[in-house]
Amino acid sequence: MLMKKGIFVDELRNVVIKIGEIAEEEEEWESPGPTPKPGIIELRKWDHKLLERYEPFYAPMQDFCNLCTMGPCDLSFNKKGACGIDLRTAKARLVTIACCIGASAHTAHARHLVDHLIEEFGEDLPINLGGDVNVEAPLIRTVVGIKPKTLGDLRKALEWAEKEIVKVLHSVHIGNEENFVDYESKAMHVSMADHVGMEVADIAQIVAFGFPKAKPDTDLVPTGFGIVDTKKPVICVVGHNVMYSRPIIDYLERSGRIDEFEVAGLCCTAHDMTRYRSKAKIFGPISYQLRVIRAGLPDVVVSDEQCIRADLVDACSKMGIPLIATSDAAVRGLTDVSDWKAEDIVEALVSGKLKGVFLPVPEKVGEVAPKVAEEIFKRNKDRKYKFFASDDELKAEIAKCTQCMSCVFTCPHNLRIDIGMAQAQKTGDLSKLAILEEQCLACGKCEQSCPKQIKIVNVIMRSNFEKLYAKTGKTRVGRGPIQDTEIRKVGQPIVFGQIPGVIAAVGCINFPDEMKSIVEILEEFLKRKYIVVTSGCHAMDIGMIKDEEGKTLYEKYPGNFDAGCIVNVGSCVSNAHIAGAAIKIANIFAMRPLRGNYAEIADYILNRVGAVGFSWGPYSHKAASIATGFNRLGVPVVVGPHGTKYRRAYIGKPWKNDKWWVYDIKSGKKTFIEPAPDSLLVAVETKEEAIVQLARLCIRPNDTSMGRQIKLTHYIELSKKYMGDLPDDWHIYVRSEADLPLKMREELLKVLEEQHGWKIDWDKKKIVEGPLRGYDAGFNPTVVEEVFAKYRR
Amino acid sequence: MISKEEKFPIAKRYNVADVQVSRDATAVKPVVVVNLIKKAKNPVLITGGSLLREEKLVEIAVKFYEKGIPVIATGGSSKPLIEKGVKPLFKTYTLHQITQFLLDEDFKPNGKSFDVVLFLGFLPYYLSRMLSALKHFSSITTIAIDEFYHPHAKFSFTNLTKDKEMHYAMLEEILSRI
Ligand code: SF4
Ligand code: SF4
Ligand code: SF4
Repeated sequence: MLMKKGIFVDELRNVVIKIGEIAEEEEEWESPGPTPKPGIIELRKWDHKLLERYEPFYAPMQDFCNLCTMGPCDLSFNKKGACGIDLRTAKARLVTIACCIGASAHTAHARHLVDHLIEEFGEDLPINLGGDVNVEAPLIRTVVGIKPKTLGDLRKALEWAEKEIVKVLHSVHIGNEENFVDYESKAMHVSMADHVGMEVADIAQIVAFGFPKAKPDTDLVPTGFGIVDTKKPVICVVGHNVMYSRPIIDYLERSGRIDEFEVAGLCCTAHDMTRYRSKAKIFGPISYQLRVIRAGLPDVVVSDEQCIRADLVDACSKMGIPLIATSDAAVRGLTDVSDWKAEDIVEALVSGKLKGVFLPVPEKVGEVAPKVAEEIFKRNKDRKYKFFASDDELKAEIAKCTQCMSCVFTCPHNLRIDIGMAQAQKTGDLSKLAILEEQCLACGKCEQSCPKQIKIVNVIMRSNFEKLYAKTGKTRVGRGPIQDTEIRKVGQPIVFGQIPGVIAAVGCINFPDEMKSIVEILEEFLKRKYIVVTSGCHAMDIGMIKDEEGKTLYEKYPGNFDAGCIVNVGSCVSNAHIAGAAIKIANIFAMRPLRGNYAEIADYILNRVGAVGFSWGPYSHKAASIATGFNRLGVPVVVGPHGTKYRRAYIGKPWKNDKWWVYDIKSGKKTFIEPAPDSLLVAVETKEEAIVQLARLCIRPNDTSMGRQIKLTHYIELSKKYMGDLPDDWHIYVRSEADLPLKMREELLKVLEEQHGWKIDWDKKKIVEGPLRGYDAGFNPTVVEEVFAKYRR
Repeated sequence: MISKEEKFPIAKRYNVADVQVSRDATAVKPVVVVNLIKKAKNPVLITGGSLLREEKLVEIAVKFYEKGIPVIATGGSSKPLIEKGVKPLFKTYTLHQITQFLLDEDFKPNGKSFDVVLFLGFLPYYLSRMLSALKHFSSITTIAIDEFYHPHAKFSFTNLTKDKEMHYAMLEEILSRI
């Protein structure tokens, strides 16, 4: 019996049914692997293996801890606190906490959805993701070891995830873990649960709400600040759980009035509204909340959960916009009106008796939001509010600035507001303020610090109003999973390296550069025929930035999971499909069994699948758990510079040759290899650096000569273009002359001979001596002893 | 030359909320940096992405190199430096990676461990995290010579954000004395 004992002990009452289910599952698909429903310990060995190579790196934000009443404790220079924990371990604990928060967010989101949907559609609603998706839930299969067929089955995966999150959260209590690597292992564990939670949430909403099912050519929806017709009432939804705002569309469709309203969203709820109906629009990412609200664009705001501002009631009420809060995660001090009549709620909001309400009943939200919007709209005649009533008002605001620079020293980007204000005061020229808009997160911190109470965000937005208003592009609606048929086509070229890599651009918006930088980075890879995948805020930023011809990347490159294409999978929880695609390559192309077989699959991906995550603006805790979940799955992640504030990275030391080895299943020997990839989580500072790092981290030990040649060609070309010369480490990746980029072969052989002391046979143009290892077409790498033993047999 | 005491601005943290309980950087004048470099066994200058936007910093880094201080270029700063004849020790690795390497006593790319590291041209919040890692987990002497005061460095220029010219003058003063 391969299922773990604990399952039976925990659920004795159901023992007969459970055995029945297990027997049924075993018959139907794969035999169980070693780690179905793993606890904290089952994959610890895998984590330690990863972390021995990719050593955790800590960059503390604080050198003290005040988590318990024995504190605050000074942990500087790795001192220990009263509980015995040292600084390094305390930081590992903090990352674990961040990952727990991220995992809980997605998993609670999934729980809300699944329970609600089972009530609405019944637990037997089948999981059908369309004819091209047979491996419906790669993460759940691999991690939990079940093959979910119905909504009800998703509950089993959720139960596992919830249990593990609680266990890991327990471990962060004072006095537990002593070793930072073991905390990292727990962070990885809870982040794997996060990926399962995301998969549950997205599958549930796809099947229940009829979202696109792996369709590459979904509709294009308007995206950006200026997308709404201000002659119509505007309903703005913000957050991450579309369950609450979906009935707005239903209500408007039922009443035949959908075209009389604008429904536009911020953040992931926007994605999911457009996946429900492509009539919905996308205002933009989380940094557009204050932009949109302070411009007075919405007539009503419906908030749900995660990454939404904690001051929405305040921000909306200042603009006379009623707020409907829907998720119990953010009740906002509002009156619970669940059992009020719809008319009464509308009256209270429109009359201003209540600034906002808490209404966690989706169907009622569907009716109330449009009615409120319609009434408020009647009052909002001048819709082009432009942040200030007049130019004079703007000028008077700017005149208040004393150039004290308090704002500069609180701004996350240290934006030089003072210089912009001074220039505007002296000459009336707003250009130095306008340029700040391109990078401003509209976080509002600067205003909190300004002794003159200047509405700095409004000043910046107004200064760049025309350009901001013109930021209107198109986003290709989130398609959800990757088809099995697509994987069949690209699996081999990815594993062999002919498709040089998969770049997965996911995450939030605190870019270190202007918003257009994300497009500049990704287009470099699209032109070079990498596969680009995206989701969440990154996906909508891409939908906002147009080229000279007015086209976004979605209009220039197809939506297939294929070379030179860009796939928008959807919202945050859709990230599960990106991890799922990597898993499906191991399963569909390489026939590796998934069921409860996590370490083997992650090991396969680490050694063979040249996929790299990229979070140019990582902000939320969810981004921490998403990234850490990818890391455990063997996928490196590159983050923008704000990502260093997660305090931890996983960075290998390429010069330590003894750290870089695999077992070669073919030869049966432990083999030293090139350090590919040499980091699992690393930050970059500039777009130039991002491009080069992404290209280098796509290299994998398993690349064929052709594949390595292609990957090295891009890496070397990009390094020459952006770093001004050959990369420092290109030669480490050369196993034979066949790996060398064709066009540069002679030149590179010369460099190998002259600078690296390699022996070259110039008649044959062959490398005679030098490489760390030779190329062998049958090379079959693994770092997992059990996998080695299994396939050596 | 920056010699008059009253001309020297106060050391205000690049981010007012970046408060620690342990050592804050000593705010130093160019002459102190000169002495630190002179006493160093194996100093190195690490450059960052600001060099792609601020030509003056490229000029400064080139001069450091010409004075015999090896350069590690990150963030793409290698490109303008190589164009001006600098041969950086590294150009591929990020500051994040280089910092991880620096924490390892075995990291001796020019035969010896680095004992004094100067940082020039970084996003302040990014550099700050790296300085924090080096402060807590290494004995390296870190010197921040950017325009923002960096509390986690061992030594840092004071806050020069208001006066770029003074920043450049201070950098030139170091160069004129080493
Ligand atoms: S958890 Fe430990 S280090 Fe933190 S305050 Fe309590 S005793 Fe001090
Ligand atoms: S609102 Fe913009 S300018 Fe103000 S602190 Fe935030 S990012 Fe900086
Ligand atoms: S804090 Fe206010 S007064 Fe001071 S520089 Fe910034 S905008 Fe001007």
